[in-house]
Amino acid sequence: MLGMQGWWAGTWAVFEKELRLELRTRYALTMLLLFVLGALMLVLFSTGNETLNIRLQSALLWVVVLFSASIGLGRTFLAEEDQGTVLLLQLNTRPSMVYAGKLLFNIVLMLVVTVLATLVLLFVLSTSVTFPGLLATALLLGAVGLAGATTLLSALTARSNNSGAMLPVLLLPLVLPLLLSVSNATRMSFAGGFGWDAASTDLATLVGFAGSVITASALLFDYVWMD
Amino acid sequence: MTDSMTIAPVNVRRYRQVRNIVAVWLTAVVLGAFMLDIPKMVMLEHTARNMYFHVPMWFAMLAAAGIGGYHAARYLKTGALVHDLRSREAARLGVLFGALGLATGILWARFTWYEAAGIWWNFDPKQTMAAVGLLIYGAYFVLRSSLEDPEKRARLSAVYHLFAAVTLPFLLYVIPRQFAVSLHPGAEGNPAFSEITYWKMRLVLYPAFIGFIALLWVLYTQRVRIALAYYRLHGETDDEN
Repeated sequence: MLGMQGWWAGTWAVFEKELRLELRTRYALTMLLLFVLGALMLVLFSTGNETLNIRLQSALLWVVVLFSASIGLGRTFLAEEDQGTVLLLQLNTRPSMVYAGKLLFNIVLMLVVTVLATLVLLFVLSTSVTFPGLLATALLLGAVGLAGATTLLSALTARSNNSGAMLPVLLLPLVLPLLLSVSNATRMSFAGGFGWDAASTDLATLVGFAGSVITASALLFDYVWMD
Repeated sequence: MTDSMTIAPVNVRRYRQVRNIVAVWLTAVVLGAFMLDIPKMVMLEHTARNMYFHVPMWFAMLAAAGIGGYHAARYLKTGALVHDLRSREAARLGVLFGALGLATGILWARFTWYEAAGIWWNFDPKQTMAAVGLLIYGAYFVLRSSLEDPEKRARLSAVYHLFAAVTLPFLLYVIPRQFAVSLHPGAEGNPAFSEITYWKMRLVLYPAFIGFIALLWVLYTQRVRIALAYYRLHGETDDEN
C-alpha cells in the first residue's frame, strides 16, 4: 500500500521529469511566449491609436492567453505518445500521480505565460494597476483554472488519432465561465476598476471552477489514461 | 461485446400504442395552441402562443441532456457499449430540441422586441447558455468522429460528456452577471409563469410539456433500437454514417 508520502514522491517525480525535459529544450515555453506576444501585438497594432477601455483590455488579454493554452498545453501528453513512453509511465506510476504531476507542470507554465503576457499588455498600453494584490490573485486563479481544465482534455486528445486541432474545439466552449469571471476580476484591479469587493463573486466563481474541474479530472483521468 | 449489446426485448404492440397516443396527443396540443383563446397582452399579442412550443422544447432538451449524462456515467461504470449508444442518441436529440428551442426563442424575441431595431441575436443569458450547450454538443460529436475504435470512442466521449456537465453549472452564476437583461420569467420586471398564465393557457401548456417529453421518449427509444438493430446486422456500431 502506497502512503501519502509515496504518492507525493511519485507526483513530484513526474513533475520534475516534465520540468527537466522542458528546461532542456524550452520548446513549450518558447512556443507559448512567442504565440502570446505575437497575438497580443496583432491585436494591439490592429486597433491602432484607439484607446481600449479596461473591459476590452482584460478581455483581449484572456482571450489571447486562452488560445495559447489551447495550443501549447497539448504537448505534455502528446510527447509521451510520440516517444512511446506511455507504457513506461502506466507501469511505474499510478494514474493519479501522472495527472497531478502534469497538472502541476501546466500550472507553472500557465503562470509564467500569464504573468509575462500581463506585463507586456500593461507596458504597451501604459495601464496602471490600482490593486496589485487583486491582479495577482486573479492571474493565479485564472492560470490554475485554465491548467485544470486543459490537462484532462489534452490527455484525452492525445489519445485520439488526429489530435492537432481537437484541443481548442473541446476546450473553448467549456471555459466560457472561467473567461468571463477572470477577465472581470482582472478589470477590477486596473485603474478605474472597483477593487476587491466588486471582484469577490468572480473570485469565488474562479475558486469553484478550478476546484470542480480539478476534482472531476482526478476522477475521470483513470478512464483516459488506462486502456 | 455482443452480450453488452443485449437489451430487454421490446413489446412492439405496447410501443406502437404509446407512439400513436403521443401522435394524437401532440396533434391535439398543436390544434389547441393555435385555436384556443389567449389573453391579448401588450406587445405579446398572438406571439404568446409560442410559449406552448418554446418552453416544452427547452425542457425536452434538458431531459435529453440528463439522459445522456446518466448513460455516459453508466458506460464508465459498466463498460457496456449499449450505454454509449444510449448516450449518443440522447445527445443527438438534445441537439435537435436545443436547436428548436433556440430557434423559437430567437424568433419570439425578434417579433416582440427587436424588429424595429433590426436585431436577431440578443444576449439573453438563457439564449447564450443554449448556444454554449450546442457548441459543447458539437465538440462532443467531433471528438466521436475522430476516434476509430468503438471502445475507446465510447470511453473518451463519455469522459468529455461528464467533464462538460461539471463546467456547465458555472454559466448559471456567471452569465446573468455579464448580460443583465433577460426576457425570461423570473428576471427583473418579468412575472413568473404562475402569475401570467390564464387558465386556458394552462390547458394547453401542461399537456404540451407532457407531449414533448413523451415525443422525446418515443424518438429516443426508437433511435436506440435502430442503432442496436444496425449493430446486430453489421457487427459494428453505425458511428461512421
